[in-house]
Amino acid sequence: MSSNYLLETSGLGLDYGAFSAVGHVDLKIKKGSIHTVIGPNGAGKTSLFHCLTGERKPTRGSIHFNGENLTYLAAHKRVSKGMSRSFQVTSLFQTLSVRENLRIAAQGRGGLNALKFWVPETADKTNIAKANEVLEKIQLAAFADKQAGELSHGQQRVLEVGMALCGSPSLLLLDEPTSGMGVDDIPIMTNLISELGKDHTVMLIEHNMRLVMSISDRITVMHQGNILIEGSPEEVKGDEQVKKAYLGESGSE
Amino acid sequence: MNKSTSIFGGVTIIALALIVLMPILLPSVTLATEILIFALAALACNLLLGYTGLLSFGQGIFFGGGAYSASLVMLHLDFGLISALITAILVGASLALIVGALAIRRTGIYFVMLTLSFSQMAYFLAYTFSDWTGGDNGLLDVPRPALTLFGITISDLQSSEAFYIFVAAVFAIVFVFARRVIHSPFGTTLVAIRENEGRSSAVGFSTNHFKLVAFVISGAITGLAGALYAMLLNFAPLSNVELLMSENILIMTIIGGTGSLIGSIFGAGAIVMMGDLLSSIWPRWMMILGAALIAVVLFLPGGLWGGIISLTSKLSSIKVKKNLTSEVTK
Repeated sequence: MSSNYLLETSGLGLDYGAFSAVGHVDLKIKKGSIHTVIGPNGAGKTSLFHCLTGERKPTRGSIHFNGENLTYLAAHKRVSKGMSRSFQVTSLFQTLSVRENLRIAAQGRGGLNALKFWVPETADKTNIAKANEVLEKIQLAAFADKQAGELSHGQQRVLEVGMALCGSPSLLLLDEPTSGMGVDDIPIMTNLISELGKDHTVMLIEHNMRLVMSISDRITVMHQGNILIEGSPEEVKGDEQVKKAYLGESGSE
Repeated sequence: MNKSTSIFGGVTIIALALIVLMPILLPSVTLATEILIFALAALACNLLLGYTGLLSFGQGIFFGGGAYSASLVMLHLDFGLISALITAILVGASLALIVGALAIRRTGIYFVMLTLSFSQMAYFLAYTFSDWTGGDNGLLDVPRPALTLFGITISDLQSSEAFYIFVAAVFAIVFVFARRVIHSPFGTTLVAIRENEGRSSAVGFSTNHFKLVAFVISGAITGLAGALYAMLLNFAPLSNVELLMSENILIMTIIGGTGSLIGSIFGAGAIVMMGDLLSSIWPRWMMILGAALIAVVLFLPGGLWGGIISLTSKLSSIKVKKNLTSEVTK
């Protein structure tokens, strides 16, 4: 596999019974890029995302990450390979403090190391250091001891991304990071993701076009389970096919 | 870390104080012993229910398994006290490994149904193999061996006071151990699984491994409790493996407070004392137990211990207010 790409899928597909949610997708994500997948509702973005995170087993095709085939690898094992994800619907440890949410997320990278029941959880300083580092990065240090469930929705979305960061991933998979966020909060998320893009490869699914166009290096447009086009934000913006897909001129929707 | 999470500080001190006070305040030492033994079982159940979020009806299997195995090795193989207890720990852990490995393959209501089915199976197994278990009559003449360490006999444990001290020492060790478990990478991961299993898996934990180890630890402690109970009664009744035993352990855990180890002492204390006091007055005392459980679930979601905590915090806030108003009036 070529070393220029961190993640490569070839002919990746996912069927639900007779319905093919993802057809044959060849997606290549360049190292160090921010790569966004967009598309109208039902285009297969989320199904593709599920295959990448390991939540669903693909029906066909393969996923190579860092040159390694992990098409059928269980979701939790992908973390130690360097893949980390966030959720579209905020998924936190609601009654735990913000810091503890991050510390546990950092602990997860070690997998079964956390089975140690004979040492204090504070024994592993790297997890605490990671949690503190991410707290600074996502600017929630002032709320570190607050329960995650008590944060505002915008802050919870940021923490959601922060928890994915705690896995020290080389590839960050973000599922609609601005989902449900108010207009005022979206710039915070935009800044955060473009900041993260400096040290990580980021693949995200997103609906907010302003965010997508401002931070993406590459954009893949999906339509009816397949890739319509892939290109830079400018190329995608000007493309006639994309406009048709979004406006539903084909009459298929 | 701060005092509240130190395994020897905080609630451990309260637990030790309770251990010392119980035989003085309660009508009999035997009653106090019984409370501590069930507190062990409730504490083990709490690791599953309170910390991992697993409602297991299988605790009676481990309790009965511990009681039978310790009794059998003492009766037939002349095992001493410590080796019999270790046998019970190992048998409790092994049974929990088997039940756990199969039950955690399902979640929610199906998990609960699986533990329930195992519990039924264990009962009928014990009933069927009456040559070993004594069937309906239970296993009779279970000895209570002397406590011998490094060849020196410390106590014959025949007096109920001596046995209480021994059980109390075992309880203290297990309590500190359980505190270690919950304030460890493992324990914090269990809480994460209870809070959000999907997210736990997404951040890299193979949640089934964690649930299984929680089961094994819980089973080991419950087995130990079962063995101590057999030594207390000099008898291992069939009722140890009945579904009712699993229920009782669960009720003690919930009444005491899920998610607090110290609550297990209160839960066990409340149920054992109610049984002792009320059963002599009114044979249908279990009805009161039902009412008590309903009351706790509806009005004291944190259990007895949660109730005590919120009461003390309310009292202290009233005090603060009083101080404030008195200063204002000055």
